[in-house]
Amino acid sequence: MVPVRLQSEPPALISSPDCPLLELRGIRVPGRTAARLDDVSLQLRPGERVALVGPSGAGKSTLLAVANGLLNPEAGQVFWNGVAPARSRSRRRRQQALIGTLWQDLRLIEELTVQQNLNAARLARWGWPRALLNLVLPLETAANTAALARVDLSAGLLEQPVTALSGGQRQRLALARLLRQEPLLLLADEPLAHLDPRLARELLALLLEQASGRRALLLSLHRPDLLDGFDRVVALRQGRVVLDAAPSALAGPQLASLYRSEP
Amino acid sequence: MTASAAWSWRALRLAPPLLPLLPALAWLPVLWVLPGLSHGGGWGLIGQFAAAAFSPSLDPLVLGSAFSGLGVTVGIALLGWAFSLVLGLLGGVLSSRTVWRTACGSALPAELIRRLLAVPRALHELLWGLLLLQWLGLQPAVAVLAITIPYAALVARVVSDLLDALPTSGLEALRLAGAPAGPALLTALGPALQPGVISYGGYRLECALRSATLLGVFGLGGLGTDLRLTLQSLQFRELWSGLWMLLLVMLALEALLRVLRQRWAMPARFGLSSRSVGRGGREVLLGALLLLPLLLLVAVALGVNPLQLGTFQSLPPWTADWPAVAALPWPSLIGTTLGLTLLAAALAVGTAPLLLLLMAPWPWGRLLLQAVWALGRLWPPPLTALLLLFVLQPGVLTAALALAFHNLGVLGRLLLEAEESAPLQAEEALTAAGAGPRLALFYGRFSALARSYLAYGAYRADVILRETVVVGLVGAAGLGSLLLEALSSFAIDQLIALVAVYVVLTLMGEDLSDRLRRRLLAA
Repeated sequence: MVPVRLQSEPPALISSPDCPLLELRGIRVPGRTAARLDDVSLQLRPGERVALVGPSGAGKSTLLAVANGLLNPEAGQVFWNGVAPARSRSRRRRQQALIGTLWQDLRLIEELTVQQNLNAARLARWGWPRALLNLVLPLETAANTAALARVDLSAGLLEQPVTALSGGQRQRLALARLLRQEPLLLLADEPLAHLDPRLARELLALLLEQASGRRALLLSLHRPDLLDGFDRVVALRQGRVVLDAAPSALAGPQLASLYRSEP
Repeated sequence: MTASAAWSWRALRLAPPLLPLLPALAWLPVLWVLPGLSHGGGWGLIGQFAAAAFSPSLDPLVLGSAFSGLGVTVGIALLGWAFSLVLGLLGGVLSSRTVWRTACGSALPAELIRRLLAVPRALHELLWGLLLLQWLGLQPAVAVLAITIPYAALVARVVSDLLDALPTSGLEALRLAGAPAGPALLTALGPALQPGVISYGGYRLECALRSATLLGVFGLGGLGTDLRLTLQSLQFRELWSGLWMLLLVMLALEALLRVLRQRWAMPARFGLSSRSVGRGGREVLLGALLLLPLLLLVAVALGVNPLQLGTFQSLPPWTADWPAVAALPWPSLIGTTLGLTLLAAALAVGTAPLLLLLMAPWPWGRLLLQAVWALGRLWPPPLTALLLLFVLQPGVLTAALALAFHNLGVLGRLLLEAEESAPLQAEEALTAAGAGPRLALFYGRFSALARSYLAYGAYRADVILRETVVVGLVGAAGLGSLLLEALSSFAIDQLIALVAVYVVLTLMGEDLSDRLRRRLLAA
């Protein structure tokens, strides 16, 4: 295990250690027929690992998109580290840099090498000169090697194009890129979908391991059998939070009613 | 470099997002040389020209003249385009390897016809126009023919390329089942060919409108003539009356074609964006039928008379002086022409992505770019060159800047289209991780479109080589300048030699850009 050093964070974004890393208050996102999210409130404290469950179309991806700032809610408030999304572009970018997302479709840059993809996670902290240099020369090889080692990938892959990787390797690379970003808040949108059971458990273990100390993890998933390592589970149904409790609370009748088909 | 092993020259490589920006480095020497070329006398005139854009003349006389000139230009474009489509389709089928292989077992005739069609394609429509003008005298049919000839050869090439790229398994199945060659080809390949041909055909109409304007600048009728006269007599407000009208027509045409392309689910040009291929067969046919009476009407209104094409004008007597022709400074002429081509191409290809990146954070910046690029597409390069002469000395650089501005308009629009249809996910992910809008666009989307954009740039360089003749009028611009001189002084021997050199050069350029394009797309 190679520790990745957290680089200096902008002081304005650091608040008291108890302050929630993510707080959603009364979030509403309209949809075509019914609301995609309706009066959703949620808190995520440092070190917490929270699973987001619910049937397809319940609003899990929408909630994550609101949480990472991609989607502006119609009503309600978002706080990152106790601070609302900044108006100023540069402050907003510094806020975004502390939120890392593991996308279901991974969103690697197919035309670049593994190393360049890992370094792309640093773009928020880099200026143009380094961003340009990254496309010409291998940069920050040591840190990238360390990030790859944490997800059990060999440093020999650094100069490989992303297209040369297998499905499992790509998944791990996406996670390594997330680590290179050094976020405080980790969001993951169905990262275990399309993975075979062994790979799914391995990736989940890696993700859970990251959420320690000041970091927190919010992960959406379909499979109630994988809730073991989580501190809390939040269940969504038709855009509303129907349960926010310890994983053990989601058993038997609750589980059945959460996934029952609509009348 | 440093002692670190990773930082060696061998590790140096260029990742895709950088590639479209590299040609913009051509600006460095240009900006270095530019102050020396500037004579600074005409900044006032340039200012007047720009100011006149906001106060075009609204005199009914001026507007009426511009309107009728615009009518002629649009008419010429429509007729030239329609003829070239019909002839091009025919030529395309005749030069398709698949067709000949199916019909008589050998692709040899296709190769032969391909080579033949390369010659009309190698000459720019302006050159055709001026040559035909000398042979046939000034008549409306000359401009129509000048567009028809090279366009038909271009359409033929594209159609045959499209045909030969279609999968032939359906065709083989039909042939094995005993279908005759003609019906089998039509059934198996016709429907698959249609979307590509119609999409390309629409694009040719836009080109035809620009070509018709350009031909006008050289006196072949229409609005182009008005534009040049008003520019040379410094009547900028009158100039802008015509220019705004032309701009409106062109933007309306582009919008119409975009709507049709979407409605009929046609592929975008050069596969830069991939949409599903659908069919609007009945509507397409109806559109074509509606066009027929319109074309007839236009032909009558313009006084295009095919019978007049049979009467040649007698040329002044000339004697060939080949030693004098051979004594022309060929290496420097060819070198200048190639240098002009490469410089204009590099400036055009590199500037479009650079500007797009600069404007990325602002939505209004994008609109501004669209407006400037529309003007660049439409405003004929020789007029840009004349305008530049107000502040710059004549020469290669002035000609290159004029050509670059025009092609920037073409490439810029294509880049925007490609950028808008490129997948957004990678860019979104970078934005969500805190990257700024420019870096997110640069890493996220330029990566995906770099190669196909550069491949189109290679094709554009080939077009620019042909276009060097249109900026010949600013002087000292290689073969083009001498060609225009030879034309106006009836130096037929020089003309023959220059046209021959042009043809050879453009054919070689075409071959080179083809190879480059294939390599870029294969990587």
